[in-house]
Amino acid sequence: MWAAFRSEMRKMWKRPATWVTLGLFGLMTVADLIGEYRRARKDPDDPFFLPDAWSQILGQEVMVGFIFASVLVILLVAAEFSWRTARQNVIDGLSKTQWYWAKVLLIPVLSALFLALRAAIGGLFALAGTDLAAGAELFGTVQLAALGGMFVTGTGFASLALFAAVAIRASGPAMAVWFAWFALGEGLVVGGLGALFEGLRPILKWAPIMTFSRLRDYIQYDPEALRRATELAVEQESPVPELEALGPAFAGSLLWIAGLLLLGWLWYRKRDL
Amino acid sequence: MTSVPGTPIIQTFGLSKRYRKTTAVDDISFRVEPGQVFGFLGPNGAGKTTTIGLLLGIVTPTGGRFELFGGRSASDLHAARRRIGATLETPNFYPYLSGRDNLRIVANVKRRDAAEIERVLDLVGLGRRAKHKFKAYSLGMKQRLALAATMLGDPELIILDEPANGLDPEGMREIREIIRGLGERGKTIFLSSHLLSEVERTCTHVAIIQNGRIVRQESVADVTSHGVAGLRSADLEALAAAVAEYPAARWSDRRGDRVVAELEDGDLAALNTWLSGRGVHLSHLSLEARSLEDVFMEATGAAEGHAAPGGAGDTGSGSHQLGDVP
Repeated sequence: MWAAFRSEMRKMWKRPATWVTLGLFGLMTVADLIGEYRRARKDPDDPFFLPDAWSQILGQEVMVGFIFASVLVILLVAAEFSWRTARQNVIDGLSKTQWYWAKVLLIPVLSALFLALRAAIGGLFALAGTDLAAGAELFGTVQLAALGGMFVTGTGFASLALFAAVAIRASGPAMAVWFAWFALGEGLVVGGLGALFEGLRPILKWAPIMTFSRLRDYIQYDPEALRRATELAVEQESPVPELEALGPAFAGSLLWIAGLLLLGWLWYRKRDL
Repeated sequence: MTSVPGTPIIQTFGLSKRYRKTTAVDDISFRVEPGQVFGFLGPNGAGKTTTIGLLLGIVTPTGGRFELFGGRSASDLHAARRRIGATLETPNFYPYLSGRDNLRIVANVKRRDAAEIERVLDLVGLGRRAKHKFKAYSLGMKQRLALAATMLGDPELIILDEPANGLDPEGMREIREIIRGLGERGKTIFLSSHLLSEVERTCTHVAIIQNGRIVRQESVADVTSHGVAGLRSADLEALAAAVAEYPAARWSDRRGDRVVAELEDGDLAALNTWLSGRGVHLSHLSLEARSLEDVFMEATGAAEGHAAPGGAGDTGSGSHQLGDVP
């Protein structure tokens, strides 16, 4: 298994798509954070320094990284069927099990990579405005917990991407199906079924994307960020942030991830290469 | 898994593969002994690649079974793959990686030392182009890289699927030399091809497959040891018609300005007498070496009444394809 994973790492490292997606996400992150930095310099009441800046660094934009990570999973896995290297790897001596689970190991690696890129670039930007002499804790358990929760979100999205890649076995259609489900499909299915069968609504809210997304909001992990967000909401007379129960969301996400990976495995194993 | 002496390297027992309404491989049985260069000859779509896919465990059989190195279970198959070097259809590599990096991936899967990569690259003459990306390779280079990959790990059995496909005569000659060299080193080689000349020049044994069934299998030496009659006459039409009716002719075929026929009894004098009695007078009659093409024509029953592409001695061009046989 580890030999197969080493091969995956080598292939990922040498694949131009890896650097294109990482580079693009890095550029988008830099552009976004330059905006934050300039805004903070103009408005002293809204500073951009650590640790408070983590709520902006690990905000909604992290989702873009997870989309890139999922796209990359599809590109790395589905192409193996087009190039017939999936078949050749097995002919050369990998078992189907080793082949599949080495791909599975790509998921946490890529999720962590995109998350770390955002955190690293953002951390560096925010560090420039931070008074290090104040002695405040710049990165602590709060941020670690938030990164952990978001990592599970990214892993969930990418697991769905892996399932699409092994089921469809072609990059373009797999990406289209994944994105359609991510952006529209799940909402339509949940909305449609919820309208038809009201009793199903409590179950439908545990659809995969909705479940994974419950773990992505930074303010759930940081009481200080939550206080600021609530104050702002009250001040602007907008709805106050609703908190999700993290435990069930975490368990639900892990169940979905395990289910998707297992389903992908069964699907992949059943079909001839 | 170790081989018991005398155990065939490959043995199939009524192996079949059906895809809904299509039977790709139909109840085939054959065996490949250690050290044989076994040609698996048949037109495109005859079932060669499916058979190899079955042997490599990437296609699931719908009937029959097979043994590799005497083992038949799934774990035996997984262990057997480590003793096999194989390519299926086109060379399958990562286009964005160099030839050397592609072999690193294969070596990693086969758990072989990276130093072996240089050895096999030199063997196939790709040492100087190893740093170039696979997608920039010519078809001949891709085929040679595939051969290099199969040789990694010094496997006991090498399975090659149409290794000369799409190559020019020079490329075919190079690939043939490499395969011959492997055969001379005692490797067991299973070579599928639709090229008669390739199998005739490279293999020690042959099985002919058509429409998913094996129609004949024997050693190439046995195949070509029997002669065929070569005949010419001023009236070629009458000659062809008369030979086709000759009771002792297994098959006959009109080729250019002559007619060839395989005789059950090999009695040329009796044939001449019979033809004379029918008013057909020969200008030429000789016993010629039988080519693999003749055997294929006979085995598939396609010869009678049809002109084969090229002549009987045309197998040297390296481009004579079974797919052209009607």
